[in-house]
Amino acid sequence: MRNSFFRILIFALIIAIAGVLSIYSSTYQKEGVWQDIYMRQMLWLAIGLVCFFVISGFNYRKLWDANYFIYGTALFFLFLVFVLGIVRLGAQRWLKFAWFNFQPSEFAKLAIIIFLARYFSAKSVDDTSLSSGKFGIFRGLILPFIFVAVPMFLIIEQPDLGSGLILLLVFVCLLYLTSVRLKYIFTFLVLLILPLPFFWHFLRDYQKQRLLVFLNPNIDPLGAGYTIIQSRIAIGSGGFFGRGWLSGSQSQLYFLPESHTDFIFATFSEQWGFLGSLLLISMYYLIIHQGFIIAQRTQDAFGRLLAYGISLLLAIQVFINIAMNMGLAPVVGLPLPLMSYGGSSVLITFIALGVLANIDRTRNVF
Amino acid sequence: MERRIILNLIIILVFIFLLVGLFNLDLLQGEKFRKQSDSNCIRLISQSGARGNILDRNGEIIVDNKISYDVMILPQDLDQVDLVLGKLSRLLGVETKELRAAFKKNFISTSIPVTVATNIELKKAILLGEYKAEEPSIIITPKPLRHYPYAALACHVIGYVNEIDRWRLTKLEDYGYKTKDIVGFGGVEEKYDYYLRQEEGGLSVEVNHRGKFMRVLGFQSPQSGKDVQLTLDLNIQKIAEGALSGRKGSVILMDPQNGEILALANYPNFNPAVFVNQRSALIAGLFNNPDAPLINRSIGSSYPPASVFKIVDASAGLELKKINLSTVFLCQGSTMVGLRRFSCWDTHGSQDIFGAIAHSCDVFFYKTGLLLGAQNIHDYALKLGLGRNVGFELPYETGGFIPSPLWRKINKFQSWFDGDTANLSIGQGDCLITPLQAANMMASFANGGYLLNPYVVKAVGGLDLSKKKKKLTAVNFKKSTIETVATGLRKVVSDVKGTGNVLSNLPVAVAGKTGTAQVPHGATHAWFVGFFPFDKPKFVICVFLENGGPGYSAAVTAKKIIEAMNSQGLI
Repeated sequence: MRNSFFRILIFALIIAIAGVLSIYSSTYQKEGVWQDIYMRQMLWLAIGLVCFFVISGFNYRKLWDANYFIYGTALFFLFLVFVLGIVRLGAQRWLKFAWFNFQPSEFAKLAIIIFLARYFSAKSVDDTSLSSGKFGIFRGLILPFIFVAVPMFLIIEQPDLGSGLILLLVFVCLLYLTSVRLKYIFTFLVLLILPLPFFWHFLRDYQKQRLLVFLNPNIDPLGAGYTIIQSRIAIGSGGFFGRGWLSGSQSQLYFLPESHTDFIFATFSEQWGFLGSLLLISMYYLIIHQGFIIAQRTQDAFGRLLAYGISLLLAIQVFINIAMNMGLAPVVGLPLPLMSYGGSSVLITFIALGVLANIDRTRNVF
Repeated sequence: MERRIILNLIIILVFIFLLVGLFNLDLLQGEKFRKQSDSNCIRLISQSGARGNILDRNGEIIVDNKISYDVMILPQDLDQVDLVLGKLSRLLGVETKELRAAFKKNFISTSIPVTVATNIELKKAILLGEYKAEEPSIIITPKPLRHYPYAALACHVIGYVNEIDRWRLTKLEDYGYKTKDIVGFGGVEEKYDYYLRQEEGGLSVEVNHRGKFMRVLGFQSPQSGKDVQLTLDLNIQKIAEGALSGRKGSVILMDPQNGEILALANYPNFNPAVFVNQRSALIAGLFNNPDAPLINRSIGSSYPPASVFKIVDASAGLELKKINLSTVFLCQGSTMVGLRRFSCWDTHGSQDIFGAIAHSCDVFFYKTGLLLGAQNIHDYALKLGLGRNVGFELPYETGGFIPSPLWRKINKFQSWFDGDTANLSIGQGDCLITPLQAANMMASFANGGYLLNPYVVKAVGGLDLSKKKKKLTAVNFKKSTIETVATGLRKVVSDVKGTGNVLSNLPVAVAGKTGTAQVPHGATHAWFVGFFPFDKPKFVICVFLENGGPGYSAAVTAKKIIEAMNSQGLI
């Protein structure tokens, strides 16, 4: 009964410890506050673990009721970022609290998944079947999209294109998993893809550059392409066994920018090589796989969609981040869940995993 | 249900995609990325050793090295380069424009230091060393440079050093030579470059993304080149060059017992230092000078031997028994060969072989030559080492040329006439030899019949090579022939009317032969080839003056040299 709980906990801990080691290795030679950055990450890890334990014992059905409140809170914070947010690295993504910065977009990701799970698992009044199968185009597509689009728009405007697009992807995937008709989904996708060339003009200059650089990093080796080139060198130079703990020249001599946040995978891979990276990616897969198993054996439609949503959120972030590290996806500001330095991400991921564990536990109570 | 399975498959595919990407980067391209990673953070700072010294036979330094300093900058922060160049220009007193031009010319990549100024003085190097503290991208490297304490002395034996050219590079690439290497050109510097050449050492250091020094990874100490000891005697060389005193020509002094070159002087000469300082105007002047100062005249250009060639006629006549000691020809100032009158330079009356050599009687040798025939003269000239490479170790030796009837038939479609034979007999016509060939021929009469293998390098890196280099080749003449000719050569000096009589009042007995070569344009070339002391020859001397007038003037020059050597106790 407690199997899934422990599995999730152990996999997540292994990844998080690898993350702390990588953060330490990439920052220990820097001066000042940088040196204890790994301590802060460990603190967040501890808080995250507490949250995991608490949330996993907290009946997820309560989220059903708190759904609108959570969604409202997320929107409120996103608006607040607009007004009060701290500008860092050219983007306004953070809210300053007493001694830490909070990134509301991380919270919004989870809030939207809860909201969508609740929305699509509503039951018909007359019988106990799911009502989503009978949804027309308005209730099945347009209305939920509006609910997703509002926070998504706020996030993209921060600007944080990566997180915004992830919301869209999660939305499409969840839509696919509910009983909404396929033709609606395809219509939606076509409507999304058709105006893409038009959206090009709405992208910011740096975003355009990143996309161009993704196609060919060598057009600007010292500018936008620099990170991709250095990241690929870092991963590739690891070879099979890696260069060893604290012996990665790319990350430790600062050739690789953002080596403790978005490009932590490259930092890790340089030191631990193909073998270490293989194990790391396997860990991620095992967690996600565990989420899928939980979803499949849950009878409750809300719990099932929630479990799928959380697993997909994790999978999409892991995929885009690692692909971007390897130069297989354009550079978007997106953390690697559980590994990248950043309190909000760690906290929200552990809370999401806690919800996942609780879904499996509650299932057995019925 | 189906939708879940499809989604599951998609997720699996996505992770496989990641693993394939990882496999590609780590295992397929890992090697390449490892190299790129290293070149990111590893810098090589090269340090060059010193090129080997060149010494004379007594160990005196002819060429050595002195330390000079190069200024390089690390172009890590390209925006800063202009600022740094500006400051450098103020400190060095060089225009910023020049520095920028040098920077542009030498720039390879941001990770490799760029040389912006070379050969700066010690004082300025110290000044820059202090400035380095605030601008760490400046690197000052000491560099040993060729130093010539005697300027142009023995320049043709030594050669010069310069940046390797394309032709040499293609030839020497396999031996570890690289572009921009400094290599020898001409002389010992070229021939023994492989030994003289230093081995580069250097420091490999790790730097961070700003090019800031982190730690030393390794050090290989540079190796200096091997010293090369020459057979030249610095004192004799100085005397020989002094005796030329600005006249075109060459002087060779050689040991007839083993072939060691004791002095080899040529004029016009050059100062090899201009190549070190890269004074382009002076270098261009050297290459464009019509007098060709870079040519080693002793081996690199050939001249008509004139009367010096009569030694060949005399030896051949005696060997082939066309003449003997009692053969006498009458010189009436000229003789008829066919329908043409061939004149002598004087009227000598009846001449035997001794008289003919001593007085350089043309009529005697016209007649001897006609008795021998052109082919025999040609063959004996070659036997005495004329008209073919001596096999000297310095580069760019020319062979000279001895004509023959067959050669004329094949190459000029002309017949050979007796007049040609008469002309060849006195070393005119198409006949050409180098001064070293003349000296080598003379050596075989000084040492009893052996041609030598002349050489200038005695030892390399302390290893004595003279035993290997000494190579005597018997000319296989009868002892009487050698003795007869040698006696004739002695009479050139001792006879009151001998052409070399000017040398008779020296404290050492000299033997030799003068020559006055007629040339199409300008004054005659003057030759004196001889050896001394006559009884126990220790030196072969060859003085050749290009357009230097009659052979007499060469004899006078030889006299000056021998006098000076005598007064310095070098004989």
